[in-house]
Amino acid sequence: MTLCVRSTWLALAAFDDWVRTPVDPRPLALFRCWFGFLCLVNLLLLWNDMPMWLGNDGVLPPATHLLLQDGTRFNLYMLTGYNDVTITLIRWLGLAGGLGLLVGFLPRVSAFAMWLAVSSFSWRNMHILHSGDNLIRIGCFFLMFAHSDEAFTLCRWIATRRAGVGLKPFRQIPAWPQRILQLQLCVAYFVAGIWKAMGVAWQSGTAVGTVLQLGEFQRFPIPDWVMTPIVSQLMTHGTLLFELGFPFLIWIPSLRMPVLLAGIVFHAGLEWTMNVQLFQWLITAYYILFLGPLFSTSTQTTAVGPAATTAGPACSA
Amino acid sequence: MASFLHTCFAIASRWPTVLVAAYSLAVLSWSMPASLFPYKSSLDAITIKPLIFLNLWQGWDMFSPEPRSEDIWIDVLVIDRDGSQHHWPLTHMIEMPYFDRWQKERWRKYFNDHLRLDAERTLWKPFAEYWLRTLQTQGHDPITIELTRLWHPTHIPVSAARRADLYRGPWNRFVFYRWTASERGSR
Repeated sequence: MTLCVRSTWLALAAFDDWVRTPVDPRPLALFRCWFGFLCLVNLLLLWNDMPMWLGNDGVLPPATHLLLQDGTRFNLYMLTGYNDVTITLIRWLGLAGGLGLLVGFLPRVSAFAMWLAVSSFSWRNMHILHSGDNLIRIGCFFLMFAHSDEAFTLCRWIATRRAGVGLKPFRQIPAWPQRILQLQLCVAYFVAGIWKAMGVAWQSGTAVGTVLQLGEFQRFPIPDWVMTPIVSQLMTHGTLLFELGFPFLIWIPSLRMPVLLAGIVFHAGLEWTMNVQLFQWLITAYYILFLGPLFSTSTQTTAVGPAATTAGPACSA
Repeated sequence: MASFLHTCFAIASRWPTVLVAAYSLAVLSWSMPASLFPYKSSLDAITIKPLIFLNLWQGWDMFSPEPRSEDIWIDVLVIDRDGSQHHWPLTHMIEMPYFDRWQKERWRKYFNDHLRLDAERTLWKPFAEYWLRTLQTQGHDPITIELTRLWHPTHIPVSAARRADLYRGPWNRFVFYRWTASERGSR
């Protein structure tokens, strides 16, 4: 009993330490840049169709939309009501937010702008959303609280160029926004794996072969050898293994890079065969948050922010 | 008193840890199947409102628990007053150029996953009326708009002949909504 209590206490202390020990800002900053770019692409893909999906004269007029409501969601329409001017606001907020995230200009405000834009079109037409939109809303929300402007910003780059000296040392930042996004990715994989593992087709190994017969998801041509029962079984069970294994194996330092590489191969395969727009790009963008060790051997870092003052100077992954 | 305040301060200074743990537990509970997560109903009852209000709701159950066992697409047939007929294969993705099918993924989502379903019949008339307005701006004068769903089953065991980029019909078809000019006044 005492051993059990002690072990639990040690585990909680380690978790607390992991959340509160400041980290190198570069993984989060690099994530912000790439994520911002993907948010922009997502917005531009939707741009022309916005009047159709979101407009009062579109496919979902206010009277019909009201019938589909459940719960209160913070979004622009709370301020504007059903008004097509909101489409313009969504476009420009999203554009400014995406660019701001990409170049690191006022990244917290930019993250808020993008979050508000995506939340607004998500509220106005929930039937057009894909899992990539989930990742964007969640990523932007926690970037609002992150010190992601401590590295890889246009201002920093210009200042360094003007000063004519080498890069200033990076200051360490509070870790919790990065930690929450890392755990979010693990939850997403784990839950996806659990849902799949409940299905007969996933258990029997026919699920991937079935999905590859669906023209509605078809992207680029696939070779004949992929469409055999044995390869379907391998890919189906490989998917389960990867999705259920990722949330646990990613925390073992020696396995981290192999797991991330396996994820890249997995999602590259899906990107080739499946037409699900930006999902594969967005979910692998979250991998950048796990690249802390790649940066840890380079430039010196110093602490910044309230949480940083409570812990030591070491960076952790 | 001093030790009580010290304890309070120690707990308060750990708010990031509490937040990270609480959020992770909340979204795990939110996303998990109820049959496998016994605390789901009580946890979700607490977290549902903040997660929805802050737009942090999520779902990760694509292609599960079972992938779709039918390939489907939606077709729109328009008959103009002069008798001419026009087809728009809204979500026949395989017939679209690569960029178009990528850009129109949300079309697939809306039409195949929602508009097609009997359970979402509230979407049918607004869509037909939207299509009507769009066509009128292009000079058409529709008197009938038909929404048709087409489908055919997938096959097991899988084989190369069933690759989605090769497979064509025969398609089952069903007209699930018909708008006629007589409904125009009911808007």
